Amino acid sequence: MRRLSFFGERDVLARQTIDIGVLFSCSGPYAAPAEQGYRGAMAAIAAVNARDDLPFRLSPVVADPEGNTDRYAALASELVSGRSVQHVVGCTTSWSRKEVIPVMEKAKALLWYPCVYEGFEASENVVYVGACANQHILPLLEFALPVFGRDAFLVGSNYIWGWESCRIARDVLTRSGGQVLGERYVPIGDTDIDRIVEEIRIKKPDFILNSLIGDSSYTFLKAYRRLCESDPDFAIGRRPVLSCNLSDNEVLRLSPDSEGIFTVSTYFEAIANPLNTAFLAGLGEETRSAGITAFFAQGYTSVLMIAAGLAESGMGEALDVLAAVKARDVATPLGPLRIDEGNNHIHARAHIARVAADGRYEIIRQSTGLIAPDPFLTHSNLVVPETGAVPPAKPVLRIVK
Amino acid sequence: MSDRFSTPSFEGTSALILHRAHANTEALARQLARIGVSAVTVWPEVEGQDFDGYDFLLFDADMGYDAQFPWAAGEAPIPTIALIGSEAPGRVTWAVSHGADAQLLKPIGSSGVYAALVIATHAFGRRKALESHVGDLTARLANRENLAEATALLMVRHGISAATAYARLRRQAMEERRSIDDIAVSILNETGTVKGSHGL
Repeated sequence: MRRLSFFGERDVLARQTIDIGVLFSCSGPYAAPAEQGYRGAMAAIAAVNARDDLPFRLSPVVADPEGNTDRYAALASELVSGRSVQHVVGCTTSWSRKEVIPVMEKAKALLWYPCVYEGFEASENVVYVGACANQHILPLLEFALPVFGRDAFLVGSNYIWGWESCRIARDVLTRSGGQVLGERYVPIGDTDIDRIVEEIRIKKPDFILNSLIGDSSYTFLKAYRRLCESDPDFAIGRRPVLSCNLSDNEVLRLSPDSEGIFTVSTYFEAIANPLNTAFLAGLGEETRSAGITAFFAQGYTSVLMIAAGLAESGMGEALDVLAAVKARDVATPLGPLRIDEGNNHIHARAHIARVAADGRYEIIRQSTGLIAPDPFLTHSNLVVPETGAVPPAKPVLRIVK
Repeated sequence: MSDRFSTPSFEGTSALILHRAHANTEALARQLARIGVSAVTVWPEVEGQDFDGYDFLLFDADMGYDAQFPWAAGEAPIPTIALIGSEAPGRVTWAVSHGADAQLLKPIGSSGVYAALVIATHAFGRRKALESHVGDLTARLANRENLAEATALLMVRHGISAATAYARLRRQAMEERRSIDDIAVSILNETGTVKGSHGL
């Protein structure tokens, strides 16, 4: 005999459809990370719709600015006008995010921004579902300085990400008794990199912070690898390259030239805990074959948070959804996650990983705690002590329920 | 935060917002809180407020008036930020006359405050350094007559050239680690012939 439960009735009545804007440049110069964000958001929408305990289903409304910064505002405006879309998951670069923010603020809508970025922003209509500076470059330097030394060479692409990463690194190094032995910027896309590698050979830094992006970064890493192979003073692992912006997919493609690179992220496919195992198993072979990066996990997480907020607020307006989701932890691929009440950034974990010989990241230090977001770096400690409470450089595993 | 690499931190500082209670002041206070700045809003009287207790003053350029400030135009003792709604030249000029170190345009959204604090801090530092430099130069200018008098006195007293007399003044200043103007005044004091009003 079939008893008609409350949930059973929902099955009878059509579930309400909620439109979710998905705004990524799946073509153009930064299509690789953008596509990961897109695929993560779409996978999570499918996962949410497969649940039978929610009184709504999500319907993606996709827009692709094709990497053209000038198209973001117009497309975002199309999405949120008419009020059918109140939540947009999207944007990869900071420039594109800055284009979309005024549109969101005017429409009282929310942009869920699933990327690591440089900080120094806190819009009331943006939820920052990626690490800001105190959750990526600071933990990476806190890890690196006691282990490798305090004299660094900084190299970055000639735009806001490169400038700000190098500026923060210089600030931390100077305050921590270290030195910047050299600082060089390369125009985006430029691959004329040999002079920089030669300068590094002469100056012999303890480590190199690489904030280059795209082809400049790949060319640099290959050239540096040749130096490591030819000069014993640069034997692999001796003067390592650190980067806050090299995804799993990029280092795999660069293998074996990427071996020994250190990075930091809120998420790695290699994280060994039941939560991640279950998350990856649920994605299916085809989705997994392209690799699952932090961009994917953060896009996925954004949608889970929207769904949690919709459920909690009784499908309220965008800002009510945000208020509802802020009041609780949400189970996500990044672990149980909370959005900061004051600045709309996530409290994030910062895992440190190193590229192994097979081109995959292996976890060197798995974060056991959440780092509160400090987008304006106002209360973060910028001094790395000589010997801090730094655990040994071995995997520290923690079971996340 | 003097060099361009260090990260400015405003954690633990405080701001006085001189503006009637409004959605703008609430947005301001929220942005300030994110940056670590506590804010107090007062309007229109600032009596009883001790400006020394604040690190920043954000004042309304639309409805503000001279009597609100217990200092002469342009002599604010802390960095100031004008909150500008009307861009009518009269109001903007008034804000400038009060030495606004930076400005924010209303309506206040979710950005701009951090940059305004950084700019105001630097502008205020520059303003103070300039004031002190000008003060120093003015004092030295005022003392020029005393210096000439002291040089002449030494020339007559010791039968030496102007260059030698000046060199002697300078050597004494160096030996005693005082300013040359200071030495000139003390020499004139011995004979009661100080001219300027800037006796040190």
